[in-house]
Amino acid sequence: MAWLASPPPTANTDASIASDASAVPDASGALATPAPRTARHNGTHPASERPMIEVRNLRKEYVMGTERVIALDRINLDIARGQICCIYGESGSGKSTLLNQLAGMERPTRGGVRIGGIVVSRLDERELAEFRQKHIGFVFQSYNLLPGLNAVENVAMPLMFRGVPREEREARARAMLRRVGLGKSLNHYPSQMSGGQQQRVGIARAFVTRPQVVFADEPTGNLDSKTKVDIMDMIRDFARENGQTIVLVTHDDHMAAYADRIVTLLDGRIVHDTEQDR
Amino acid sequence: MRFSDLVHLCRQNLFRRKSRTILTVLGVVVGCCSIVTMVSLGSGIDEQNKQMLASMGDLTIITVTGANNTGGMGMADGSGTATARIDDKAVKDFRSLQYVAGATGHVTYLDAILTAGPANRYVDQNGVIEAIDMTQFDAMDYQLDSGRKPNRQGDVLAGQYTAYDFIDSLRPESDNFRMRPSYLADSCTPEQRAEGCEDKSDAQDPFFNILTTKITVGAAQTDDSGNVASSSTPTASNGQTAEGSGSGTQIQVSGLLKEDNGKGQATSSGLLMDIAALKDLVAKIHPDAAAGTLAYDSALVRVQDIDHVADVESQIRTMGFTTSSSRDMLDSLKEQTRSIQLILGGIGAVALLVAAIGIANTMVMSVTERVREIGIMKALGCTVHDIRAMFLVEAGAIGVIGGVIGCLVSALISLAINLIRYGGVSAEHLQWAILGNGTGDEAARISVIPWWLYVFAIAFATLISLISGFGPANKAVRVPALDAIKSNQ
Repeated sequence: MAWLASPPPTANTDASIASDASAVPDASGALATPAPRTARHNGTHPASERPMIEVRNLRKEYVMGTERVIALDRINLDIARGQICCIYGESGSGKSTLLNQLAGMERPTRGGVRIGGIVVSRLDERELAEFRQKHIGFVFQSYNLLPGLNAVENVAMPLMFRGVPREEREARARAMLRRVGLGKSLNHYPSQMSGGQQQRVGIARAFVTRPQVVFADEPTGNLDSKTKVDIMDMIRDFARENGQTIVLVTHDDHMAAYADRIVTLLDGRIVHDTEQDR
Repeated sequence: MRFSDLVHLCRQNLFRRKSRTILTVLGVVVGCCSIVTMVSLGSGIDEQNKQMLASMGDLTIITVTGANNTGGMGMADGSGTATARIDDKAVKDFRSLQYVAGATGHVTYLDAILTAGPANRYVDQNGVIEAIDMTQFDAMDYQLDSGRKPNRQGDVLAGQYTAYDFIDSLRPESDNFRMRPSYLADSCTPEQRAEGCEDKSDAQDPFFNILTTKITVGAAQTDDSGNVASSSTPTASNGQTAEGSGSGTQIQVSGLLKEDNGKGQATSSGLLMDIAALKDLVAKIHPDAAAGTLAYDSALVRVQDIDHVADVESQIRTMGFTTSSSRDMLDSLKEQTRSIQLILGGIGAVALLVAAIGIANTMVMSVTERVREIGIMKALGCTVHDIRAMFLVEAGAIGVIGGVIGCLVSALISLAINLIRYGGVSAEHLQWAILGNGTGDEAARISVIPWWLYVFAIAFATLISLISGFGPANKAVRVPALDAIKSNQ
């Protein structure tokens, strides 16, 4: 496959992504009704063999004043289904930028990202929103719960965006909250909860839609070491249970230890890529 | 996202920023109130005009007062002014015009003194007797207050307040008359009462019942200069007057007319009879005056409906007559009212505009404050469409709530204005103010809110809110999802 083959560094990678995207006419619908090419691909290989996340020759530049900052360059990365992949690096290494590209929060300058066969970097705003609703979960460093909603409502929010009726989604949210050990704080507001509790709500919110991929950006960055362990255990257990793919961004060595694979970034490039046995 | 969820979220957001929501809604309330109150004052003017016109009588009457010299000269066929006389032929011509319901010649006879009661103690020195063609009574739409319609040649009708014109010549001058109820004040304070103020509660019936009492019509004594003798004081001539005339003729009033200033003074105070009957009467009481002098002083033409008054009037003018009707006054009144209403509405609109700016400000603040939340929601899969809808629902809710409260407050303001105008709270005043079913000048409301004004005000407030929320909603949509992750507390 042309798209999967690493293009020569000098090649116009935009064009290669574009030609591939044209083979997937309705990117957002690709999972439901695979385009012919994807179907053929799936026909020859079991779906699970195809990487969940494929990154090809990704480059991201920012313009800061008159200066051009290259945040990411020549990133090529495949993450298998069910893998817990840690993107490790010091601050400023470009790991958060990479996460943004993966989740479709920002458009890459060059190159492309595919998740579950969908070329994320080519989706428009509305398609991206639907894509996130269906396939992506987020855990943030600063929890990012909505202060005006209680725990149940916060967890149920992604389901609300999908149009799930209130009773059903709140039932699911309550079940999820019980699983993260917050059965007694269902109606608490974020301001009434500790950081660890808030992050549990955040985890419940990320997993309540049973997404294929969960992105976690320094999920334990603001927590004490005991809570960190709880939180990471929780994320790992959920992921294992449903075969979900986790992309964990951290600069914490202990957290990296939870991962199947550690991709180390330095100055916007991948410098190490190690799988570890668990 | 479901609409019920949008509404739920919007309620939570508005509730969370209670004080700001209240202040914004207050802005809309003030704007809505001012527009409703201003327009209600405008429609109040309409109602007052309507009541005033109703008191002026039938508006479909054209009074033909005489020859129109310029019109007559303009007629080149030589018929000229000479033919433009109000006579039976002219009245017949009027009657044959299109849209004319009825027409009659009109005679006013002023040289009579009316007396009634035992020894003719009740005297009306200035008795007005008017005569029309009684066959046109219905066609001219004369209305009866009581009694029966004239069905015989000699039947005489009295004006609604004719009985009040009689003074009791046997009483002292300070207390020899009865006031028409409509001339009395609505109410007097005790202090005013001490100074002689009388109000409706003091109203008394006239001295006698004009329907059951015969009236003697006598010739007025004229002095050398031709003035009617009534210039001397009634008391000085009491008793003498009726006896002095010697040739009084007794008549019996069969019905009481309803006052209608469009149809002559006799409907209010005086007597109305057929022209032939008046001629007989004058011949009896004034044998020396030639009956032939009773020429028509004017003609009354009634048009079928008010829209054709102008048309008929101009036709009569081209026939060479001068006319008068309420049309000119009606037109200028309408124009005046409209310009006042425009000014009032403009003032209200300015207030609502200020409120709109307030809403826009609140919404801009709300977006700025919630950049982070918007980003989180976007990251979690909220569509751009839903985010815009969220802000528009919020803005719309502010408009609807403000509009509804504004309408309620305006209703109270309007009620208060009207009660102040009526001079106090009473069951009757409340009924007039709320139902608007009072009749007559004293019940006309200053502030009238028609139902459509409430609908319009709420719709307008909502629309303005949506428009002013639109910009901020689009701004919210453009917030990059990235900010949610980037902005660490």
